[in-house]
Amino acid sequence: MNSITCSPPLPCVPLPFVILNISNISYRNFSGALPTCPKEKNENYPAKIVNKNVERSLDISTQLIKDLFKITATNSDGLPISVYTFIVPAAERKNLAFISARDENKKELKYTERLVDGNHQFIIAFPKSVSTEVFIIEAIYTKRLIPHPMEIPQSGKQLVRYEGNLYLFSPYETASQKVNVLLSSSNILSHTQVKPYNVASNKIKYGPYENIAAFTNQSLIIHYENERPFLTTTRLERVIEVSHWGNIAVKENIFMTHTGALLKGSFSRYEFQKDSRSGHAIKSYKTILPSSASDVYYRDTNGNISTSNMKIFRDYVELELRPRFPLFGGWKTQYTLGYNMPSFEYLYNSGDKYLLKMRLIDHIYNDMVIDEAEIKIILPEGVSNIELTTPYTVKRGPNELHYTYLDTVGRPVITLSCKNLVENHIANFNLKYTFSKITLLQEPLLVVAFFFIIFFIAIISLRLDFSINTTHSHKD
Amino acid sequence: MNQSSSGIWRKSAGYSSLITFSILLIAWLAGFSSRLFAVIRFESIIHEFDPWFNYRSTAFMVQHGFYKFLNWFDERAWYPLGRIVGGTVYPGLMITSGTIHYILHSLNIPIHIRDICVFLAPVFSGLTSISTYLLTSELWSRGAGLFAASFIAIVPGYISRSVAGSYDNEGIAIFALQFTYFLWVRSIKTGSMFWSAATALSYFYMVSAWGGYVFIINLIPLHVFVLLIMGRYSQRLLTSYSTFYILGLLFSMQIPFVGFQPIRTSEHMAALGIFVLLLFIAILRHLQSVLSRSDFRKFYLFGGMFAALIVFLGVVFLTIFGVIAPWSGRFYSLWDTGYAKIHIPIIASVSEHQPTTWFSFFFDLHILVCTFPVGIWYCIKSVNDERIFVVLYAISAVYFAGVMVRLMLTLTPVVCILAGIAFSTLLEVFLKEDYSSRIVGKGGNIANTEIAEDNHVDKKNLYDKAGKIKFRPKHDAQLETHCGIGSNLKSVIILAILMILMMFAVHCTWVTSNAYSSPSIVLAFHNNQDGSRNILDDFREAYYWLSQNTPDSARIMSWWDYGYQIAGMANRTTLVDNNTWNNSHIALVGKAMSSTEEKSYEIMSSLDVDYVLIIFGGVIGYSGDDINKFLWMVRIAEGEHPKDIKESDYFTDRGEFRIDSEGAPTLLNCLMYKLSYYRFGELKLDYRGPAGYDRTRNAIIGNKDFELSYLEEAYTTEHWLVRIYRVKKPSEFNRPSLKLGERTLSPTNYIPRKNSKRRKGYIKGRPTVIKGKRNNSQ
Repeated sequence: MNSITCSPPLPCVPLPFVILNISNISYRNFSGALPTCPKEKNENYPAKIVNKNVERSLDISTQLIKDLFKITATNSDGLPISVYTFIVPAAERKNLAFISARDENKKELKYTERLVDGNHQFIIAFPKSVSTEVFIIEAIYTKRLIPHPMEIPQSGKQLVRYEGNLYLFSPYETASQKVNVLLSSSNILSHTQVKPYNVASNKIKYGPYENIAAFTNQSLIIHYENERPFLTTTRLERVIEVSHWGNIAVKENIFMTHTGALLKGSFSRYEFQKDSRSGHAIKSYKTILPSSASDVYYRDTNGNISTSNMKIFRDYVELELRPRFPLFGGWKTQYTLGYNMPSFEYLYNSGDKYLLKMRLIDHIYNDMVIDEAEIKIILPEGVSNIELTTPYTVKRGPNELHYTYLDTVGRPVITLSCKNLVENHIANFNLKYTFSKITLLQEPLLVVAFFFIIFFIAIISLRLDFSINTTHSHKD
Repeated sequence: MNQSSSGIWRKSAGYSSLITFSILLIAWLAGFSSRLFAVIRFESIIHEFDPWFNYRSTAFMVQHGFYKFLNWFDERAWYPLGRIVGGTVYPGLMITSGTIHYILHSLNIPIHIRDICVFLAPVFSGLTSISTYLLTSELWSRGAGLFAASFIAIVPGYISRSVAGSYDNEGIAIFALQFTYFLWVRSIKTGSMFWSAATALSYFYMVSAWGGYVFIINLIPLHVFVLLIMGRYSQRLLTSYSTFYILGLLFSMQIPFVGFQPIRTSEHMAALGIFVLLLFIAILRHLQSVLSRSDFRKFYLFGGMFAALIVFLGVVFLTIFGVIAPWSGRFYSLWDTGYAKIHIPIIASVSEHQPTTWFSFFFDLHILVCTFPVGIWYCIKSVNDERIFVVLYAISAVYFAGVMVRLMLTLTPVVCILAGIAFSTLLEVFLKEDYSSRIVGKGGNIANTEIAEDNHVDKKNLYDKAGKIKFRPKHDAQLETHCGIGSNLKSVIILAILMILMMFAVHCTWVTSNAYSSPSIVLAFHNNQDGSRNILDDFREAYYWLSQNTPDSARIMSWWDYGYQIAGMANRTTLVDNNTWNNSHIALVGKAMSSTEEKSYEIMSSLDVDYVLIIFGGVIGYSGDDINKFLWMVRIAEGEHPKDIKESDYFTDRGEFRIDSEGAPTLLNCLMYKLSYYRFGELKLDYRGPAGYDRTRNAIIGNKDFELSYLEEAYTTEHWLVRIYRVKKPSEFNRPSLKLGERTLSPTNYIPRKNSKRRKGYIKGRPTVIKGKRNNSQ
């Protein structure tokens, strides 16, 4: 954040937005391409673009940082703007879980990412270029709220620190800027005081600030009480098993950690029972499942977890899950959640062509953070021509084979993995494949053949006499 | 079984085998499903304590393979000693379920090993009823066999050990036991080496499955011995016993845990002795046929005495020199019920090692306990070689069942057999030529009615298979004398019998459902107000907490009862567990629990304890908690450390064990007490009651206000049932403060003389050493 030098912007081939491995984009590649197209320098940071008005709303009331910029950009020369560059410093890039750009009509804008001198540039392209563009950039960061102090006793309050830039970190000049910060409580220990500002209950209003130069860095530190659950899903293993007999089974293996302030000293059940206020301990949370989910189970390696409630609403199923024990800072738990869904809601077909349209990941708890997710889609035996489209880039592993009841050649398994996910990543994937219906009969026929052979052997063998001597046959 | 090949019998044989088949199938299904109460009420889960170890080692075997399992050194148990699991376990159970798992998985049937373990015992109960059927048909008749099979399928005495989830050795061992006996009876009857070799194989399975194989290896020699005494020596006996003994001996020594025990311990010597005796008699018989009468008599006298002397002295000397181990303590406790209480408190402390009460005989066997003497009577009345066996079986099993509750299990099968014989004979008498009465009594128990029917159908062609020819006429004649009973009387009696059987079935279901179907790691209680069922899941809560939130290498001290569960569910290192092989280690834990916090901290830090887990039932009124077991801890600790721990210190002057303010101060300050009641004195269970009221012992605790200095509460479950404490590291606590008077050292009499001037002292006659020069004097 501190030393950001304006290096000559590097040209690049537009890359798809890669959440997963930023290591794909290596600096060397670009520098090699540097001399070939020096013209783009002007195109990238056209000096004439000015952020006429920036309204930033920073929501740090949960464990996430939801950073929303409403930018009105104009070209001072009156020329149309075709691209706009939004910068995320490298230090923050690894915490950036999700970013999206929309225009005024909430239409998604396309962007490409590239790395320039330690800064990640998101270059937003406008479909129709006009001289004044109004658009919204939403960025969601995880794990940037650091508990301070790191350890608190059971009865203590969880205080966290936000550290970031007060202004929009922009390669352009900003004419006017306002920042609204939303906190989880009115208990604010300290915050950066750049006048003009205004504190009201759990809100801090900064600005308006006029004429901020490009690449201005003004740190913003807020130290406040945040008792919202700091719960991180360190690993999610989601298995979707498609059966053409009409069922889709979903099984999620979830590893969780309370990533808030660590518990200092002992846990006292007496204090915990006396004080009904939950504080920073996580007693329960709600998981929302699709409305057609049935046969829900919630268990771990030791068996069923008996503390859960299920409520069925019209368009969703709400599960109130209580871990076996309340989670304090640093405590971990792990469980398996599974349910069945009828396949007709998610599986479409025309002839032998099938399309599976399902959520890649699903809701676990509000404002969730998933460190890494591994998704496996198990298709029926005999599926071919698999074609997968995902809503965002995920890493696809090699296909595997899965054997279950009455399988002969194994079921194809598609493995996907991705990292650092939030609720905004709940989106559908499309999976197209070919499957001939006659294959469905294979398994019943296998059973029939098996029993036929058994009985046949029994019938034959009981009618044959294998005994060597038959001396006592008439006595009995 | 049914080998009738003449044309007349073929049709009825077809029907009878159909009926036999269907009854056995129904018995299997009934036995299987009546064992599922716990699964339906709770879930598919492993029960209690020992099954957790069996499950854990099965899972290990499935994961790592059989040879890794045999060589498994479990460093997570008996810290710091560890346990050689492969060599201290009967692997039959693990191999059985591992094999099933392997077969199913090679057929692509992905059943979790836990489910195989849970349902193994119910499945094997079906096999048990089939082998009971086979055994009883060998002994008496197929009708009696079907009765016995139906009885054993549902009798509570056997269900108590084989409900779904009770994954223990007994679940498969009773099958192996019955099947071995069946094969033995078969081999005695036929005198064929094939059957006795099969007996040895089945015995091998039994040895691999359960320590109760000693029962077989003593009962069969006893049978042979009694047959010899009764003058029933035969070539068949010689063939079958010698084949069985030699093969069985070799097979049983293949089990690592058994090893050389069959030739070195006293428990197995009877079999060897009988083997020698049998051979001796066989030689005598042979000589008798060769020598003249007077020569034989001389030889018999001297040779016999000489041989007896040699054998006796040999055994005595071998025992003295330690080649043959004397009887182990557990076996002494079988003969002398007071033995364990005095010498081995750890055996006496186990509830299932207590003597059986009359109540539990009736509870576990119901009507069978009344009818099985009738069966014995029938067997004795028309005695033959194999019926002697069942009589001996019954008598010895009754004795053992009276000594220990646990051995009720060995009694149950023979009770079923004999009750089956009794009922079958009764019905045979009263059902003869009376078809209508069957239909009248068809309302109640379907299986039993069918048995009755079947009994009738089968009677003629099958009855004579069991008995020796010479006894048969007598038996038949006896039957004929009963034929003059009026039809009304017959139907009344039949109805009465059917009623009794029906009540038996009802009782069995009730007992199974109420007494034997609790997983004991999940407790359920019914709310009195609205009748809803609440589940107390504190054990799993605590174990799961341990597994998730303690370091992987954490060592957990608890009383030995919970060792297997901690290892199985929390996967953490324990100090002692339910395999109570090392009494002194357990005594050390008992000592730590019953000493003061300071003293036990020394023990705990010498044992590298990280966490202490205790069970406390005072909040919910759970009676099986550690305070109620505490006296056993004290007793066991006293056995090894009589200087430090005295049981009498924990009683009041009037000899009471009380936890309230009048309790013994040693008790109120020992570690177990403090850990149980830490901060409990502040807790009010309801608005009216006083704080610190212990519901289990119905008293207000005596020591309310105290702090722990060497431990801290790490976790307590929702209902306080399990409390876990972390042992602090030496840097984490302040040394206990000394009183002001003790802080300064009291001045001694010694007053140094050099108080005014600094004078140099010297040593008289000290050799002066000059540096760099050799000392010439040396």
